[in-house]
Amino acid sequence: MKKTIAAVLMSVIALTLLLTSSEVRGGSETIRVWFSHIEAENEALRSIASDFTRDTGIKVDVISRRSIFDAPNDLANNAETGNRPDIVFMQAPDIGRMVYSGLLMPLSVDTYRERYAEAALDAFYLDGDYYGIGYSVDTSGLVYNKALISEEDLPRTWDDFFHTAEALTVRCPAGLVLVYGTRLNPRDMWFNYPIMRTFGAYYFGQTQAGVYNPYDIGLDNRGMLEYVDFMRELMEKDLTLTNPNQTESHISANFANGELAMMLYGLWNASVYQSRGIDYGIAPLPGTTEDKPSEALTTVQGFVVNAFTRNAENTLLFLDYMLEDTNQQQLIEAGNRNERKTGERNPANLSVMMSDYVQNDDILRSLSALNAHAEPFPNNPEGPIWYNYVPTALQAIFYGDADPQEKLTELTDAIRRDVRMMGETYDYVVLTPAFYVFVAGIIALIGAVYTAVHFRRRKRTRQKEKPRWATTLLAWAFLLPLFVLLLVFYAYPILHNIYLSLTDYSGINLRNYGLIGLENYRHIFTQGIGGLLSMTLWTFIFATSVVAISFVMGALVAVILDKMNMKVAKIYRLVFILPWVIPAVITLLMWRGLLETDGGFVNNLLQLFGLPGVPWLSHPLWARISAILVMTWFSFPYFMVVSFGMLKSIPKSCYEAADIDGASTLQTFRYITLPWLFRALVPVLIMGFVMQFNQFGVYILTEGGPSTGTIGDPGATDLLITFVFNMAFNTHRYALAAAYSVIIFIFVGLFAVISMGIARKRMGD
Amino acid sequence: MKQTLRDKLIRLVLHGLLVSLALITVLPFAYIVLLSFGDGVIGAQATIPESFTLDNYRSLLSETAFMSWFANSIMLALLAMVIALVLVSLAVYAFARLNFFGQRKLFSAILLVQIFPLTLSMVSIFRIFMVLGLLNRLMGLVIINSVFASAALVLVAKGYFDTIPKSLDEAALLDGADRFKIFYKIILPLAKPILAIVALQSFVLAYNEYVIASVVMTEGIESMPLAVGLQSLIVGQYGTNWSLYCAGAVIGSIPMLILFYSLQRYFIDNLTVGSVKE
Repeated sequence: MKKTIAAVLMSVIALTLLLTSSEVRGGSETIRVWFSHIEAENEALRSIASDFTRDTGIKVDVISRRSIFDAPNDLANNAETGNRPDIVFMQAPDIGRMVYSGLLMPLSVDTYRERYAEAALDAFYLDGDYYGIGYSVDTSGLVYNKALISEEDLPRTWDDFFHTAEALTVRCPAGLVLVYGTRLNPRDMWFNYPIMRTFGAYYFGQTQAGVYNPYDIGLDNRGMLEYVDFMRELMEKDLTLTNPNQTESHISANFANGELAMMLYGLWNASVYQSRGIDYGIAPLPGTTEDKPSEALTTVQGFVVNAFTRNAENTLLFLDYMLEDTNQQQLIEAGNRNERKTGERNPANLSVMMSDYVQNDDILRSLSALNAHAEPFPNNPEGPIWYNYVPTALQAIFYGDADPQEKLTELTDAIRRDVRMMGETYDYVVLTPAFYVFVAGIIALIGAVYTAVHFRRRKRTRQKEKPRWATTLLAWAFLLPLFVLLLVFYAYPILHNIYLSLTDYSGINLRNYGLIGLENYRHIFTQGIGGLLSMTLWTFIFATSVVAISFVMGALVAVILDKMNMKVAKIYRLVFILPWVIPAVITLLMWRGLLETDGGFVNNLLQLFGLPGVPWLSHPLWARISAILVMTWFSFPYFMVVSFGMLKSIPKSCYEAADIDGASTLQTFRYITLPWLFRALVPVLIMGFVMQFNQFGVYILTEGGPSTGTIGDPGATDLLITFVFNMAFNTHRYALAAAYSVIIFIFVGLFAVISMGIARKRMGD
Repeated sequence: MKQTLRDKLIRLVLHGLLVSLALITVLPFAYIVLLSFGDGVIGAQATIPESFTLDNYRSLLSETAFMSWFANSIMLALLAMVIALVLVSLAVYAFARLNFFGQRKLFSAILLVQIFPLTLSMVSIFRIFMVLGLLNRLMGLVIINSVFASAALVLVAKGYFDTIPKSLDEAALLDGADRFKIFYKIILPLAKPILAIVALQSFVLAYNEYVIASVVMTEGIESMPLAVGLQSLIVGQYGTNWSLYCAGAVIGSIPMLILFYSLQRYFIDNLTVGSVKE
């Protein structure tokens, strides 16, 4: 036994050394470009690259990517691997944490200043340097239905906009709105941001030099309060969405149906408007004065250079080449699928903007006209923090009865708290020999206690038969393949995770992190998280109920189907495994729609039977019940299938005995089948509990809501893991997430060990 | 007479129960199918599309790399399934049949390692893949998925193996058969129902795995497995292509339904068992 432990430890250590010390070999001279998800665009860049190779002899490899959103994380992982990219297509708001982690190379952009839109360069400006060059500008404006309002009549000022919108609104005599002048989403801050700005509210303040000050948040000032009052007026005038379930896609759907004259939106669904025969256009936003349109929040997508590029000179040469006007023209045309002119790429290059390709097309022309009125979204690492809080706060204000001043103060406090958390720094710990002696001592102590306890127990409960060494060797040989793989793919990640939890590894410090001791754990236990106790309790209730209900249900269905007429049963079985085989993301979104309070299928059905609607996802208690029911729906097929197999193992004699005793079907199930399955499935049930404990699906269903208290506290359906995930990733403190996962591990591990022990005793094993 | 009336009533209740459960199960799926045929669907709400078209399927097949994702995933899941079957049957045989030092400890270890919420830091998994040279290789996904599936399924299968009477082994031992022969000739055939479930589960797990695949597969759209490829159709916050995604999900679920259909005779059909008696 001791030998095995020693051997296991040795191999773990050897493996850790192997994994941490290995250097990836370099040497490749080829420039690697991570580019687009649009294959035509990649092809265009490949042909440009082959021209470049012909002229210079430098090889270029263009790699198709699945989405631009993966670029930052993938770059962080791959920046120093053998397959590292040299040029990466990335969104400007993502560069903050890349720059702070030292992954991006500062660029000299003077040569591009004349040829590119101002926003295209500014978006990549951070703390005194430029880190990229914009390629496409993803922006929004005033999208309008030409059948309802002509281009000349478009409002030029915000006052005019709201008057026009009111005038365009058409109601039927009963008061139902047939045509909306405009519709705003009260929970939204992205598209409404220009309106907020006109009232004097703002997200992050900027210094004269254009540097963001993340502590200067203008979301609780007097202007914001005026905005709230104003939005409430609009709600009464039917110019906004009417319930919190609705999102921008409802607005876009209204527009596609021809029921909406103007909206503050982009052209992301343009193909749908076209197929519905809507004649649409896009114009700059209204402004405070007639000649100065407001600036819409904008995401610029462009090219950045990996700081670890192995051939900087050639990389910059190629970057320069692909940014030439003619090459930009080719790329933008391919990105817009050539003659289809889909509007997916809105050029940042001035020459392309003025080209016939763009100017001869209404939509492309008006899109590029928006570039002059674009406000790049903050690109500092703190930028995305508001996503997590603003919708909740605005929902409480506009759809709940929260006091605006109070809620907005809470909101800014929550944002500031996260900003502060991101900025925290710690002193690195230097490990002295004394420390190692201390750790070794602790391990030895634990070992000694363990062996002592172990031997005492051995004496008390003598095993039925002492194992023989020959059998042991054979058994280990059988287990070897599995355990080697478990060591590599489970043990190592767990150890690495524990190590990370002792460092200051974070999204803005991806590379030069070091040991900071137990600071992360200290943070967790001192700062605490609001409502930790109630959230843990809820997580337990959730996981237990889901597992218990789906086990009983799965077993019951399996038994019934086992007894049934073959043909019908076959169909039922296929139907019942559906939840298990369809990707969960899409089914969860379907459930979210089906359970909507207003107009959801389930409530409509209830109404049909004359029953009152249920606030499935919008009332805290009901949301919890819904979460349990929906996740049960997902996991019962698993238990059903497993039960199918296990049913076969029940000896027929058991049933025969029950038959003789005259037990009813239900009694047989309750007293024979269920206990049998339970015994056989104890480990599976425990694993099921663990899986539900760490269930992310609930978040897709409810987004953790509805909110129960202060902004930043867990929502009613937040599970421990989703809350931790959000908090740690919102502030990019990955080491903190690692520390939490260690704590959750200990927590759930104890639970599993204890329940295994109880189960074992109960069964007298 | 009384008995049959009661039986009939029970049967009626059961059927009512099954039908309503089936309806609840099918409902979201029905919407997914509707959306997959929908024309001009905006957002993934459970609303019935205004008009229908085959265009989503057409563009899924012609404009995306769907066919290669599909092939990748089937390949990946089949290989993972085979490896998992081997690993699980070897390990479970040892745990259920052999009396050896460390038996309980090792079994608990399998359960314990799975408790760690690795989703919180994929970076550790990434490093393993990097060092082993498995990045951007389907083989890497095959291995890790078969390991994850095996770890979970050893727990399922052990319960079943325990119920196969040991008297069978002992009789064979007396007849002079060695351990391998017993394993191969006696235990495995009897364990067919649970092996069918192991096969099915490991296939589904590998086929649907998303988180790890999305981190370690970074290059080349065509080399992605289906789960990751489909996710890439959800482009951005506002420009989502849900109809395409739904079409992909519908076609993507077919292999699992076929596999289930063809395997179910092993764990349903009463005729194949019967040899297990005490």
